[in-house]
Amino acid sequence: MTASFKGEQLMDRRQFVAGSAAAAATLTVQPSFGQDAYPSRPVTLINPFPPGGAVDVVARPLASVLEPIIKQPAVIETKAGAAGAVGAQFAANAKPDGYTMLMHIVSISGFAEVDKLFGRQPKFTRDAFIPIARFIADPMVLVVNDQQPYKSLKDLIDDAKKNPDKLIFSSSGLYGALHLPIALFNKAAGIQMKHLPTNGGGPALTAILGNNSQVLVSSIAAASAQMKAGKLRPLACFGDKRAPAVPDVPTLKELGYNIEFYLWVGLFAPKGTPDNVVAFWRDASKKAASAEQFVAAMKNLGQDVAYQDQPEFKAFWDADAKRVESAVQSIGKVEG
Amino acid sequence: MEVLDSLLLGFSVALRPDVLFYAFVGCLVGTLVGMLPGIGPLAGVSILLPLTFGLDPTKAIVMLAGIYYGSQYGGSTTSILLRIPGEAASVMTCIDGNAMARKGRAGAALCIAAVGSFIAGTFGVIMLTLIAPPLANFALRFGPPEYTALLVLGLIFLAYMSTSSLPRTLLMAAFGLMLGTIGIDVMSGHFRFSFDIPELGDGIGIVPVAVGLFGLGEILSTPSRNVKTNVVSPKLRELLPTRTEWRQSTWPIARGSVLGFFIGIIPGSAHIISSFVSYALERRLSKHPEEFGKGAVAGVAGPESANNSASTGAFVPMLALGIPTGPVIAVLMAALLIHGIPPGPTLVNDHPKLFWGFVASMYVGNLMLLALNLPLVGAFVSVLRIPYAYLYPMIIMFCVIGVYQVNNSIVDVWIMLIMGVVGYGLKKFNFDPAPLVLGLVIAPIFEMSLRQSLIMSGGNWHIFLQRPIALVLLLICVVLLGLAIYGAVIARRDWRAKLAAAEAGE
Repeated sequence: MTASFKGEQLMDRRQFVAGSAAAAATLTVQPSFGQDAYPSRPVTLINPFPPGGAVDVVARPLASVLEPIIKQPAVIETKAGAAGAVGAQFAANAKPDGYTMLMHIVSISGFAEVDKLFGRQPKFTRDAFIPIARFIADPMVLVVNDQQPYKSLKDLIDDAKKNPDKLIFSSSGLYGALHLPIALFNKAAGIQMKHLPTNGGGPALTAILGNNSQVLVSSIAAASAQMKAGKLRPLACFGDKRAPAVPDVPTLKELGYNIEFYLWVGLFAPKGTPDNVVAFWRDASKKAASAEQFVAAMKNLGQDVAYQDQPEFKAFWDADAKRVESAVQSIGKVEG
Repeated sequence: MEVLDSLLLGFSVALRPDVLFYAFVGCLVGTLVGMLPGIGPLAGVSILLPLTFGLDPTKAIVMLAGIYYGSQYGGSTTSILLRIPGEAASVMTCIDGNAMARKGRAGAALCIAAVGSFIAGTFGVIMLTLIAPPLANFALRFGPPEYTALLVLGLIFLAYMSTSSLPRTLLMAAFGLMLGTIGIDVMSGHFRFSFDIPELGDGIGIVPVAVGLFGLGEILSTPSRNVKTNVVSPKLRELLPTRTEWRQSTWPIARGSVLGFFIGIIPGSAHIISSFVSYALERRLSKHPEEFGKGAVAGVAGPESANNSASTGAFVPMLALGIPTGPVIAVLMAALLIHGIPPGPTLVNDHPKLFWGFVASMYVGNLMLLALNLPLVGAFVSVLRIPYAYLYPMIIMFCVIGVYQVNNSIVDVWIMLIMGVVGYGLKKFNFDPAPLVLGLVIAPIFEMSLRQSLIMSGGNWHIFLQRPIALVLLLICVVLLGLAIYGAVIARRDWRAKLAAAEAGE
């Protein structure tokens, strides 16, 4: 009767997670065990994007391989809002005891810069987080709707130069992960296109499929089904070398534009987290990233695990933040 | 018959005992999730997602989809019995469903909701089987200008939404539209009316407002009324709808099914709108519009059918195009992706067993849900026999947990509590909160699609007239307004004629 056993398990788990709100309250009154006992209770991974989004699809398989490694449940808590700022701010203000960790993407570097642009006091900066590990880094790809005549990036740029503000590109939102790379590209190519902001990666894809926008910069994984079906035509890739998923698509570097941009997902701890806890997470992340089940799940998403341990990840993140900041500056403040 | 062959293949998958079992688990969990206020299908599906990693993809999608459409059945239960919308799409069911329950027709309302849901769900699946791919391409043509025109139509329907007077309805709607402007301006990135609370960046959620206004408002106003708890145990015959009630619900169910399906396939959060539009439509077409709000059967049958059929329609763009129509569909898509099956134009050919198995499982699932829900009607109705003193604290607890669960946000709980107080005030002054909720649903989508349209056209308003679908929708609006004006003129002439006749008579 394995089947019915599974059924019962489902119900238990469901109730368990549904009660996580109550659990969070009870956790604070639990006596704290010594440092050596870490982790002595379930760990929360903050997902700052909606369920099914960029972080969710990585975090769920990751959590399921993490649990046997850390020997505690890893509970994913969705704190979506303001394009990932709500979850990041929540994690920045969380108690740095290693029981609240943050999964975030490339856009984590942009919030403080946008706040600066608007003359607001940043709610948090990059310094609020300790990078632990990077799990995936999917290069972006520039695609056009198949009804458009452009066969190469040069065709697109030539036309855009002749007719500024004619073409429309869609994005997941102003200063979002799909807006930043195309802003860098527009600046480097010296062209102007109209921006059609939407409220997520799905709507941005819908807009280009319906030819309501003509250009989109997307992660390869998100656009791969449409590229295979011939609905979207990839023109250039934002990686430093060609991506295995689209081997025929040249990189921007090959075409003479020094631009790189990745949709990466990494793990962060709040500032002030003890060193031994950070070391624990580096070790756990390393084991989880090489777990067969996780690698297989990423493969299915059309991704290769692009694991980086803390030192490399930190160097990567610093360089990446410069790209993001310059993209935000090149977009500037939009008069609307 | 290619479709029949495919469907046979599908049923050969869907009727395997193990697949049946997972479909059942999905439907059961979905019914429970839909019943608990606030805990909507999104929470249910995303919590159960990791458990499907060990399953094969067909079973996984069958179970997760079962939760999704099962919750649309369950959502009506609390709306009818307790006037608490289990999720946003059940708001309209609260009004007449609960009014029926007050008249002692709770059983009938639940039965009609279940049967309507069944018919609409099955209709949706049949449409999905027959015309999914061409329909999906039609849905893609629904860009920002078309969406704007659809929402203009929605705004016009607002006038038919409420049982209170027109100024009161419009006042509530305006209040809802204003609340809908809270949040980050998507075009310029400015925070509007957010008072430095980042959680307000994405605006005010529909669930906390709906649960607060309807559920909490109702509970808060109960102690000031003279309530008697009826402890009559209803007989089986009283639980079932009468023949008149069946007759009254036939056409609303049919119209709701068709309407819901077509609104459902449009990418965006259109399925919520489907139940609003269906309610307004039924009220407009009804011979007795004055009964709406006082327990009109059509006011339950129409919207319930519409939201079920819309939830099936929402699968069309995902399966045929690989684009999500809403948050729940996005999670289902993620589930397929994690299992290595990219939904999209190639899905039917690459994975026929999964696709048709999934479609067939929805036929089976709808039957299961009917079998699950009808016998439970008696049990659900007995909930009303619990004295309020015990029942209401429990409901408040469920509301708080449920609303928190949606976004794990304490701000949402505060919004719900504040809206509860507002709902109490509105009830005391005899305002109807439904137009407020519709205003809140429409405002952000309307603003975004209007501004997107104007970006596309470079600020030229002709775009709404150049695109055929948008033009047709706007023409419908003009006709509706014209009819309303015509009706007003006739009524006025009528009044003068009557007066003249009366004077002549004197």
